[in-house]
Amino acid sequence: MSGDVSGIALSGSDFLREHLRARLTLILLIAIPALFVIASASVLGEFAAALGGSVAGDSASALGAGWAAAFLAGALGFFQVSSSREADRRLALAGMGAGRVAAARISASIVLGLLISVVAFLTLLLTAGVDHPAHAFAAIVIFALIYIGIGTLVGSFVSGGLEGSLTVAFIFLIDAFSGPGMSGSGGVAQLMPTRKAADVLIDAGAGQGSPSGDWVAIGLTTIAALLLAATAFWLSARPRSA
Amino acid sequence: MDRDRTQASTAERIRAGAAESTPVLQVEAIEKSFHRGVPPRRRRIEVLKGASLEVRRGELVGLVGENGSGKSTLMKIVVGLLERDRGTVERDGKLGYCPQIPLLWEKLTVEEHFELFARAYELAAREAQPAAERLLEELQFKRYRGYRIEELSGGTRQKLNLALALMHEPDLLLLDEPYSGFDWETYLRFWEMSERRRDQGMGILIVSHFLSERERLDRIYELLDGRCRET
Repeated sequence: MSGDVSGIALSGSDFLREHLRARLTLILLIAIPALFVIASASVLGEFAAALGGSVAGDSASALGAGWAAAFLAGALGFFQVSSSREADRRLALAGMGAGRVAAARISASIVLGLLISVVAFLTLLLTAGVDHPAHAFAAIVIFALIYIGIGTLVGSFVSGGLEGSLTVAFIFLIDAFSGPGMSGSGGVAQLMPTRKAADVLIDAGAGQGSPSGDWVAIGLTTIAALLLAATAFWLSARPRSA
Repeated sequence: MDRDRTQASTAERIRAGAAESTPVLQVEAIEKSFHRGVPPRRRRIEVLKGASLEVRRGELVGLVGENGSGKSTLMKIVVGLLERDRGTVERDGKLGYCPQIPLLWEKLTVEEHFELFARAYELAAREAQPAAERLLEELQFKRYRGYRIEELSGGTRQKLNLALALMHEPDLLLLDEPYSGFDWETYLRFWEMSERRRDQGMGILIVSHFLSERERLDRIYELLDGRCRET
């Protein structure tokens, strides 16, 4: 059992290293949160006004940090599944098994999600400041974890890099522009998985806490997203013979 | 000279014994079709129409056929990378698989690949390290151990691809055109390695489209019109 856990942790760290050794990924890890947080204070407010929403100022910056984490985590989640599908399956067939490969992949994804969230949160803290840092950080992490689920789900259906990243971006845009503070809170917005996390971030940006009901909903959505990601990794690595 | 003759006679004896030894792989009546295109232009392509073959311990068996005859499809079905429509696959013992295109992680080093596969094969460090050293030596790519895959030439990637399949000394080794990208010396060394392992009792199935390798193989199956014919 402990051998299993350490084996998964070691393989997870290999998968993590694989992503962190890509120089462009590291640059984007810094650049995207900076762009989202700095630009979102003004641009997101204008977009929101045009769409009939009201988010602005520090709330917009906080929301921007969440979206930066979501965008990066979604793209990395997608590439975790699509770029190494065949190699992961080879490893599973060699004896590691689809379950352990999936566990290693999900642990690497969670660590990546946390790293992305830390960078997005620090950018927010340095550029805009936030009155409710604990809530803001937790909501940013939730954005990242939910988008790991979305990215891996897309990766399990779409194999092409271009098609896959465009699909993740498409979902992201619908989610971002239909979310709270943007085009409103009815219709499609009710169905989007990041709705409650966005509410928490907007409140945190405005210096307010959020009700416990929101946190329960966020917790359940995050668990569902991570289960989805684990299933996508497992399906991707499982052997094809009976 | 005498030593060579002794070795040759040992190999012949083992090869003769292979005919009576137990099968490590039995493939029966495999059928596989692919669907291509979208309706109304959707069509079904039958690739395998009842392919059967057998590999025994201590045998070096070839699977030959033209491009697109279904060799790699059959190999992927045998390994478990592809689902079959019909038929049975029975394998015995530890499996080693070397895919046609190296399936590796671009940003990891050669050494990290050995560690990753050692965990998959559940090899203890005291077994994994000497095994990796031996293969690095045998295939002569020791100096690349710290290199990332993205920094390696096609031939060196292929050496690692093969080494990973051999690391745990499997009972059944499945090789899908494993020498593409090898230079002549490595190509000859590859055959020496295969023959040595065959003589030690490993069952080896090798996919090739070169009939010129006929003399190196104990038996050959030709994949023709979706079926295997022993030549």
